[in-house]
Amino acid sequence: MSFREKIHWVALTGLVIGFGWYFLSYPWAIANTRAGMMASVWMLIPATILFLIPMILGTVWFAIRTPKEAHLKEDEREKLIHLKGTHAAYYPLVLGTWANVFALINGLRYGWSVNILMATLVVAELIRVGAQLYYYRRGY
Amino acid sequence: MAPLPFNNQIKTLRFLKGEMTQADLGDRVGVTRQTIAAIEQGKYSPSLEVAFRIARVFGKPLEDVFHWADE
Repeated sequence: MSFREKIHWVALTGLVIGFGWYFLSYPWAIANTRAGMMASVWMLIPATILFLIPMILGTVWFAIRTPKEAHLKEDEREKLIHLKGTHAAYYPLVLGTWANVFALINGLRYGWSVNILMATLVVAELIRVGAQLYYYRRGY
Repeated sequence: MAPLPFNNQIKTLRFLKGEMTQADLGDRVGVTRQTIAAIEQGKYSPSLEVAFRIARVFGKPLEDVFHWADE
């Protein structure tokens, strides 16, 4: 498994832990109030920390274990995998943006709006990382 | 993923070249060991540049390393 593939697994784990906690712990009952929006803002801090800690620890750990691989530039296959993953992530971004527009039109604001945008980013990131891992495993 | 329409002799050529490892070949070509493994297994179709670089490492023409599957 290449250094970048390992980092993608770490990113996937961090995303699931950090934002899994965020969406499961969020007080959905007050989502459509200003307090709901502020709850989102404050909860994003620990969620980001939960996401970043495994990323930083994982990157440092794998860089120490395989320093040579950590310093290698992306080769052509890795660049293609990167592009394919980013391309796949575009679709949830578009869908999420439209979902937010419909939510706003239908009176879902504050916390809902923030959370739909957050979910859009998280789903797009999950698809980007997941697609890249798929191509690393299956070949491209 | 659809199988590639060409095969390669990289594994054999590595063996004949003093049992060169995938990592050594990757270093000389400028790609990762995993990319060499993917090319060998027919999971990745390399660019023409990388294909030529691989052939040059073995001192062979391109057709001796990669050949169309139905030939």
